[in-house]
Amino acid sequence: MAVSVVEPPSRRARTLSELAQHNRVIVCCGAGGVGKTTTAASLGVAAARLGRRVLVLTIDPSRRLAEALGVSRNPPEPVALPLDRQAALGIQAPGSLEAWMLDPKLVTDNAVRRFARSEESAQAILQNRLYQQGTQMVAGLHEYTAMKSLHQFISEGRYDLVVLDTPPSRNALDFLDAPGRLARFLEGPIFRMFVPSEGGLIAQTGARLVWRVLDTALGATFASELKAFFNVFSQLLTSLSTDLVEVRKRLSAADVGFVLVTTASPAALTEAHFFHEKIRQLGLPFGGFVVNRSRAVRTDKVFPTNALLDEHASEALQRALEKLKWLAREEALEATRDRGLLADLALRGGQDAFSLALPNVAAGTGDMERLSALAGLILDERRSGPR
Amino acid sequence: MSGRRSRWYPVRRLELQTHGLPKLLSRRLVLITGKGGVGRSTLTAALAHVAQRSGKRVLVAETTDGSGDYSALAQLFGHSQLPTRAEEVAPGIWGSQLLMSSGVELFLTSVLKIPVLARKAAQFEPLKRLLAAAPSFREMGWFFHLLSCLKARDSEGRPLHELILVDMPATGHTLALATLPQVLLRVFTNGPVADALREGHAVLQDSVQTAAYVVTLPEPLPVSEALELLEGLAQTPVHSGGVFINRMPDNLFSAEERDALRPLLAQHALQGADGFARIQDAERMVARIAESTTVGYACVGEFDKHGPELVTQVAAALEKAPWR
Repeated sequence: MAVSVVEPPSRRARTLSELAQHNRVIVCCGAGGVGKTTTAASLGVAAARLGRRVLVLTIDPSRRLAEALGVSRNPPEPVALPLDRQAALGIQAPGSLEAWMLDPKLVTDNAVRRFARSEESAQAILQNRLYQQGTQMVAGLHEYTAMKSLHQFISEGRYDLVVLDTPPSRNALDFLDAPGRLARFLEGPIFRMFVPSEGGLIAQTGARLVWRVLDTALGATFASELKAFFNVFSQLLTSLSTDLVEVRKRLSAADVGFVLVTTASPAALTEAHFFHEKIRQLGLPFGGFVVNRSRAVRTDKVFPTNALLDEHASEALQRALEKLKWLAREEALEATRDRGLLADLALRGGQDAFSLALPNVAAGTGDMERLSALAGLILDERRSGPR
Repeated sequence: MSGRRSRWYPVRRLELQTHGLPKLLSRRLVLITGKGGVGRSTLTAALAHVAQRSGKRVLVAETTDGSGDYSALAQLFGHSQLPTRAEEVAPGIWGSQLLMSSGVELFLTSVLKIPVLARKAAQFEPLKRLLAAAPSFREMGWFFHLLSCLKARDSEGRPLHELILVDMPATGHTLALATLPQVLLRVFTNGPVADALREGHAVLQDSVQTAAYVVTLPEPLPVSEALELLEGLAQTPVHSGGVFINRMPDNLFSAEERDALRPLLAQHALQGADGFARIQDAERMVARIAESTTVGYACVGEFDKHGPELVTQVAAALEKAPWR
């Protein structure tokens, strides 16, 4: 069966389902605990149902999502969901869904191999004790590498859509802040100390002071090991920063959409506004807001009244009904609040962005059912047309 | 007096027969951890108020890289940022960022013995950049800063901060910090850094003085992650003190009322049914925690407030919450 060629959108998509249908890249950002990974996964399911070949990329996810999708936790490369799971999720050929849970360590090792000038220098970094013991490398390297993988997958043409779930960190987009911290770091005086260069008298005096302090504090062996590490690492960083410009350009294209995932909680909203501002500042294509666990969704449910009870109703049932009414009133209040919130987000997002409310899918539902239900809701929005 | 260096904490004393909140308040170092969005900062701030009311000199701290313009924890005390050196942030409550640069400076002072030189070195831009970029140095800086807070004394020689509550940014960082001394001792086998690391390791593995508490919500994913985190902590020297289950819905219904209501909810699509289901799901989650771990737990209710007002309510709830 021939794969249909999807036309790029003539205008910025106005619903999440249009994004799922037309975009090549969707990047999900947001605070921790707002259901970002679940949103990314259900978005992937929705797009695959539309017949697209989809990859969901996520960094260091929870074990449960990997289990739900039926893929192992840290495979070396993307894996397809088992066919019975795809079928259960309503995905049929040519649509397909693959997932890759990136292991940060593996990602960083691969980055070292990819960017090091030679196998020798790659090995020099990988074997360095500092590198091995290090828990944190240059800030943003994980995020950067994820974006780099994303870029690679897009250009290979193996997938129609790649959905990226960023880590729950305010710094998730920092590396896009070109020339970026990475670049500033590279241009800084630190490399003059490590990379052989003539340098001015002041720089040399400074370097001597630094080395004297480090030798005293850390011991001479350690200080020289540190020097070796930075010498090799500097080459890696140089390659990285050259690539940065290209990735940034790719992510600014019209077929990319940054989606902000949030809930109604003030803390999550603060993060969403922070990201929104950042995306605007960086000139990246903003898709819209997804509000999870929202009550701003239409429901067929009716308010519990005494008419539900017949004359034989037990006292316990009568008491229980009164309490249920109390919960129902709470829900009504939350619904009013959530509708106001959605309207506010729609206003902030502007004409070209969507703001979509997704309900808390009935508790007790399994992960697969939840993903399937959410994918259905995302696609339903398409049928009911853009807002 | 002997010339022996005084220890920052008393020689291990008999463990008192306390548990739960009194136990937490009797410690010196408490790491509050849990995934984002579970109310970790709120719990940290509320515990600080509880500690202050019980007469403790308490310090709340969070790890930062010094570049941030926003701190959820500081906002709960009405500030945009915590101070870089311990200062009073609310009556009787002190606050401090744990800053890598402060830690490095403190460490260099202790090694180089000349404060002026140490300050010069710590503020030297290339060195700052080097330390910010080198693996593990960030955590080491935080660690030294934390150690210095633990060791700080008032004019009468009593600990300046009797209880230090650290709001840990992410679960990964907690595990990294907990194993940091062990890991780095493989790199630094001797010298001043190794001495400081050994001291830090002793602090972290002292189950009387130090413990990590996990904050979670009574929902499937957060509970799974909390249990995973407890498993992870068990692999580190840091003792797990307990679990706080935050935003626990009130149980409105008696068992009899629940049973009476169920058939009605099965027949009709009613508003309020979600809330009813949520209460039962939350209880299942509490049962799951009770079954899966031996550490104690306490539930904190949910309140329709935020910011400092929420902290006040959570603090009051914590004082009453039973530990199981």
